[in-house]
Amino acid sequence: MAIVGFLIRRILTGIVVVWLVSTGAFLLFFARPVDTVARQLAGHAATPQVIQEVINNLGLNQPITVQYWHFIDGLLHGNLGYSYYTQESVNTMIKQDAPATISVVIGATVLWLIAGLSVGIISATRARSAFDRISNVLVLIGLSMPVFVIGELLILVVFVPLNQHGFTWIDTGYAGITQGFGVWTGHMILPWITLAAVQAAVYTRLTRGQLLDTLGEDYIRTARAKGLSERRVVFKHAVRAALTPVVSQLGVDVGQLLGGVVVVEVVFGLGGLGETSVQAIDTDNLPVIIGFVIIAAAFVVIANIVVDLVYAILDPRVRIA
Amino acid sequence: MTSISEIEFEAKGADAAQDSSARVEGRSQWQLTWRRLRSDKVAIGAMIVVAVMVVLAIAAPVFVAITHHPPNIAYPNTGENVAGNPVGPGTNGFWLGTDGTGRDLFIRILYGARISLFVGVVTTAIGTVAGVSIGLMAGYFGGIIDTVLARFTDAVLAFPYIVLALALAVVLGPSLSVIIGVISFFAWAGIARIVRGQTLSIKEKEYIEAARSLGAGPFRIMFSDILPNLLAPVLVLATLYIPQAVVFEATLSYLGLGIQPPTASWGNILADAQNFYQTSWWYVVFPALALLITTLAFNLLGDGIRDAMDPRTERVLAGRRRRRRRRAQVAATSGGSPDFPDSARQATQG
Amino acid sequence: MSVLPADGAGPASAGTDVPDGDVLVRIEHVTKHFPVRTGGLIRRTVGQVQAVDDVSLVIPRGKTLGLVGETGSGKSTLARCVAGLIPVTGGRVTFDGRDITNLSRRAMRPFRRDIQMIFQDPYSSLNPRRRVGAIIGDPFAIHKTATGNERKRQVQELMERVGLNPEHYNRFPAEFSGGQRQRIGVARALALRPKLIICDEPVSALDVSIQAQVLNLLTDLQKDYGLTYLFIAHDLEVVSHVSDSVAVMYLGRIGEVGPEGAVYGSPRHPYTAALLSAAPAADPDTAASRQRIILTGDVPSPIDPPSGCRFHPRCPKAQPLCAEQEPQLEAKPGDVETHQTACHFPVVPGEDLAAAAAGRSEVA
Repeated sequence: MAIVGFLIRRILTGIVVVWLVSTGAFLLFFARPVDTVARQLAGHAATPQVIQEVINNLGLNQPITVQYWHFIDGLLHGNLGYSYYTQESVNTMIKQDAPATISVVIGATVLWLIAGLSVGIISATRARSAFDRISNVLVLIGLSMPVFVIGELLILVVFVPLNQHGFTWIDTGYAGITQGFGVWTGHMILPWITLAAVQAAVYTRLTRGQLLDTLGEDYIRTARAKGLSERRVVFKHAVRAALTPVVSQLGVDVGQLLGGVVVVEVVFGLGGLGETSVQAIDTDNLPVIIGFVIIAAAFVVIANIVVDLVYAILDPRVRIA
Repeated sequence: MTSISEIEFEAKGADAAQDSSARVEGRSQWQLTWRRLRSDKVAIGAMIVVAVMVVLAIAAPVFVAITHHPPNIAYPNTGENVAGNPVGPGTNGFWLGTDGTGRDLFIRILYGARISLFVGVVTTAIGTVAGVSIGLMAGYFGGIIDTVLARFTDAVLAFPYIVLALALAVVLGPSLSVIIGVISFFAWAGIARIVRGQTLSIKEKEYIEAARSLGAGPFRIMFSDILPNLLAPVLVLATLYIPQAVVFEATLSYLGLGIQPPTASWGNILADAQNFYQTSWWYVVFPALALLITTLAFNLLGDGIRDAMDPRTERVLAGRRRRRRRRAQVAATSGGSPDFPDSARQATQG
Repeated sequence: MSVLPADGAGPASAGTDVPDGDVLVRIEHVTKHFPVRTGGLIRRTVGQVQAVDDVSLVIPRGKTLGLVGETGSGKSTLARCVAGLIPVTGGRVTFDGRDITNLSRRAMRPFRRDIQMIFQDPYSSLNPRRRVGAIIGDPFAIHKTATGNERKRQVQELMERVGLNPEHYNRFPAEFSGGQRQRIGVARALALRPKLIICDEPVSALDVSIQAQVLNLLTDLQKDYGLTYLFIAHDLEVVSHVSDSVAVMYLGRIGEVGPEGAVYGSPRHPYTAALLSAAPAADPDTAASRQRIILTGDVPSPIDPPSGCRFHPRCPKAQPLCAEQEPQLEAKPGDVETHQTACHFPVVPGEDLAAAAAGRSEVA
């Protein structure tokens, strides 16, 4: 089947990309004076002894090609390094932080896709109505705002007053789904809205534009002339055609999304992969950064493959290529 | 329904148009765009807001002189209340209140504006120059050059900025240069992609073939013949990128990857403000407003310029004006010969 | 570099009997094929568009060679081959005694001063975002022959010479009519006093009344500056007005070539005869008495041209030989040496082709 071939090709390309990114990161971080590297690997508060230990353990005095080989070797065995500063392996940290990040991503994605697509579709089908005009204004504001500002304003305007009046369902910080669905959503709802807001604005505008263009096409006129109900015309024919650019935009947006996730985690103190990585800057904790870079690359690659798959399903012309 | 005299008038008009001297000098694309822009109230409003922002940012030292509060000086006595928290707007000569360490919030917002506008403009300028050059070359040369450049552009567009920002921050330490580097790195890609697309279609036009037949080399063709046709969309893209760069800078500074305190940046102001949600709403609201107003204004301005450059909107509006006038004219005339044909009336009424 | 076949067939001095020193352009066995590729990742060549096939012509100094043909005959492609805008697949182009076939851009550059082109569409051959003065001044800028005020002076002189108001130096093309824009194109081509101007259907897009003006301008300029023209058109009346000799192209090949009077007066190739019969005659009486030769069938595709004589599927005089053997260009009995035709069964004086064509279509 063509799909299998397509998948295999994309996975192979993806592996190459992850490898390239890892190599680039490796060179960026390790091709520097040994002392600088050692200190950053050992962390902020490391004593000279620890630094020396690090140099020995990781063989930082060896030629760079040898170091590179160890690095790749470690990666292939799933070992992302050791954080001396927090005295734990990076893998452990990732396992701890992942649930929060995954919660944010999934919840926000569902929210923005639903909001973006539905508002976009409604706006397009009721162009120039009050709904359309209001949503256009909201979209413009959403596009103009950075994620962290939306987050802070939401906390200020929603969380703080509610909290002060004893309404504690909405909370900051992270609570896993294991603590109960209600608790989980209570902690996650504001982060989801924050992350979804900007993305929803982008997708509303995109969907509306694409749908307006598609609705003007001749084949839609034909469908209407055939006597199909408006709803059928819109959903069965127009939306499907308008969706493909939206899907391809998704692929490009994964990079933006990643940034947004990090910001949201920091604003709401969720302690996910993003927040941990940012904190690693303050503490000069290089292994965590390296781990994050590789995970991020893998995530972007996988997301793009998924998006391409969906695109190929939507647009049969693409599959063959 | 036109009378003989009307036809004569129009015929004379056509001849007169061919005649050389004393005709109305035709307007360039820019003049026409400016005329349309002038009548777009929203765009004018946005332009004024942007101008005010720029003036305020430049005049920041003036405000320091007026309030006697330099941006990085803390005032623990007048600037903090009993509990050590910031004081509100209007207290003790602090127009918008103070921040976490008792510094004048208004002054710090002004200095933050300096950073934001500076970063916004510089990165956009770098990104535009680089993006136009790369897009032109990819589009014009085609072949392997195009394949390589286009793939590279796509890779940059899809690249997660946060990864690069973190990596550079850890290696070089957070600073203004890191920010400018990161933002410029992503700025050029969007412009390059659009410029490449435009170049691909423009290079098939006959006047490009004419230039080649004259012996023009590729660079002359790219920059003398193709580029003038690109200026319009590039201007729109650049204007729309500035707010993205501003947001980018604020986000990076917020995360601690960019401008470090005590230097004021809207991002790091808002980062510290997170400690004072319960007590000092102004610490969050005013910087947020400053950011929102700035980005909104640039976005509206960019949209306005784009609409002003797109003659399609103009034709739709002109069509409506003409139909309205024709209806009015038919209603007004009493069946005798009309004084002026429609076009002349339109011309006199602008 | 010449791309002649190994057997090096000699040049055919077609169209005029002219000593070598007086020849400005010599086109020898020029062939241009465009590959047809499949789309997709790996592009394979599945065919060739034979746009120009073994064409040989001669353009004497100071004269005009008219090139006539339908759309798809390859005349525009041939023009661009001569101008060096597209590389030839085979054959040789000689300009002023020097071989300019497939030269690199750098080597071709000095010739660009001597070979200029006027394009068909006055609306797309001028850059809409540049001022007219800059457009006409381009040749001076590119070849660095004049700058600043001197350039402006020369540009304004040119504008005056072609009938434009020099004060319009700073206007944009959009402010000019079609005819005026073509004049701008002429001024641009004239700037460096070229030797050869290739006119690719310069009046086809203009109103009939304006066509005459531009054509007169071109003939005047030829007299004043000793220009040589390769004049391409599909309108026979226009071509006869300006040309000293005429070549008729069909599907990439020359069907007939010769002095204008000879070709128009006694066309030998059936295709030429059909074209002439279809051209509108100014005198209504002549028009009424003339019989139209109506050709049957569609114009074949240049990717898969007919065997032998390419015109044979539509020719009223076609015989089995025409499908087998490609006719060579040669003077037919009764014609001057310079009037050559590629046909096995040329039209003889007094022959009624209209009847033959009508008879053929009944059978078909």
